[in-house]
Amino acid sequence: MKTINSEHHLDLTQEDEKHYSTLNLGPTHPATHGIFQNVLMMNGETIVGAEQTIGYIHRAFEKIAERRPYYQITTLTDRLNYCSSPINNIGWHLAVEKLLGVETSKRVDYMRIIVMELARIADHLVCNSVIGVDSGALTGFVYVFQEREKIYEIYEELCGARLTTNLGRVGGFDRDFSPAAIQKIKALMKRLPKVLHEFENLLMRNRIFMDRTINVGGISAERALNYSFSGPNLRAAGVDYDVRVQEPYSSYNDFDFVVPVGQNGDTYDRFCVRETEMWESIKLINNALDNLPEGKFYTDVPAFNLPPKQDVYSKMEPLISHFKMVMGEIDVPKKEIYSAVEGGNGELGFYVVSDGGRTPYRLHFRRPGFIYYQAFPEMITGSSLSDAILTMSSMNVIAGELDA
Amino acid sequence: MEYTILLQELKNKFEDKILSVDESADIFTLTVSSEAIKPIISYLKEQQSFIYLTDLCGIHYPEQEKELGVIYHLHNLVANKRIRLKTFVSKAHPQIDSIVSLFSGANWMERETFDFYGVDFVGHPNLIRILNVEYMDYHPMRKEYPLEDATRLDKDDRFFGR
Repeated sequence: MKTINSEHHLDLTQEDEKHYSTLNLGPTHPATHGIFQNVLMMNGETIVGAEQTIGYIHRAFEKIAERRPYYQITTLTDRLNYCSSPINNIGWHLAVEKLLGVETSKRVDYMRIIVMELARIADHLVCNSVIGVDSGALTGFVYVFQEREKIYEIYEELCGARLTTNLGRVGGFDRDFSPAAIQKIKALMKRLPKVLHEFENLLMRNRIFMDRTINVGGISAERALNYSFSGPNLRAAGVDYDVRVQEPYSSYNDFDFVVPVGQNGDTYDRFCVRETEMWESIKLINNALDNLPEGKFYTDVPAFNLPPKQDVYSKMEPLISHFKMVMGEIDVPKKEIYSAVEGGNGELGFYVVSDGGRTPYRLHFRRPGFIYYQAFPEMITGSSLSDAILTMSSMNVIAGELDA
Repeated sequence: MEYTILLQELKNKFEDKILSVDESADIFTLTVSSEAIKPIISYLKEQQSFIYLTDLCGIHYPEQEKELGVIYHLHNLVANKRIRLKTFVSKAHPQIDSIVSLFSGANWMERETFDFYGVDFVGHPNLIRILNVEYMDYHPMRKEYPLEDATRLDKDDRFFGR
């Protein structure tokens, strides 16, 4: 019974094993929302220990990145946290800009804020509605997924893709917001508050939902910091650490927004923090749209400004320079940087070591999901299986981010 | 420079363990000797409130005598200061003290570094591979393992600007 997974190292005596049973949750369990395995040691209904196995979709991104020029790495970042890929894309572009020493214009910054906050809303919508599904309330999920669809339509308008967006370029964007895109964002911003209100009415003060989530899977602020939690999970525990405020990037300091914090770090607090963050994101998008400065949608970085697509298809020189940029004939300064953005799940960091060549010498992704998921056994020990499922969905563990 | 005092205190306490200082980097960077890494991080955490371990990862420089590196990013959330610590070990003796007793979050980060670079974290509670399969007998992020099969003849690097 013990050797289901050779990795688990629960110290159990023969006597213990008579009473306990092993339960495999995953790798392809519908409640894990991704491919990773939890081996739970159960005493009846109670969890006495757990061990995780991850790496089922490991794609060696860090190794691949050592061979790829900078533009080709954007597509790898898409596939980290695929619920909010535009944040990863822009986070990567910001890292490259830091490496090159490029200052972006206000218009670019504000456009980026709009896109990143849209992605954050999409990410939080998935997470929060899935908490509802896992506690038995499917309605809210179906309801808000309609709005997520609208966000994906905006992505389509901005870059042509929906899930793995490859959005933006080093220095800005590949094209300006089209009138249709702006109109779609405005329409969404009008609709979304109503939908969010209704979604919150379904769950926030719902007796059953509260009973299922309050004091479930809690973690103290001290433990959360010790585990290097970040993002909504850390803020739910009561620590107001947000990269957008602590180290403002992309002109976030021009805007006034609230960083919500919880108290108990439990599932309900995580839910509420994400809800509030969505409201703040709506505020940010509206503000950025209203104050969007005139100007160019890109910053001049000659070595990285891709020529317009229609020229690439019809003229020789743009075609050549496009090819050279994408295949990476540009040497990047010899430097070492750490650049972080507030991703959907927390501090998404890029540690880049450049040796002056066309590819990074070393690239490390600080993936928030990978770091906080290791606290899962501590958070569920002593609770029941159904609570463990809720804890997992409220932590928003994304397999792509976990495995890189 | 705001880090002068910190550097002075570190130098008083750890003298020759601090091998080099890089103030021009984006984050204040110290290279320290590998046997002192745990006391230094412990000191930074307890005395200088660098209570948050942002990141821990490995790096490989094949041309160096001490080839394998481990890089720590610590963050003082109150004063909003970051610090980067680097330490290097040789491939023959890749032992570094584990900091899991200081930061629980270091557990998987050290496992990842072990998995990809083969750094042996002494005192780690469960140092086994994390992302790769357990029967893998090499550490794939080391530079001697090229990404593409070097024996391939159908690809000529000259055509790809390499």
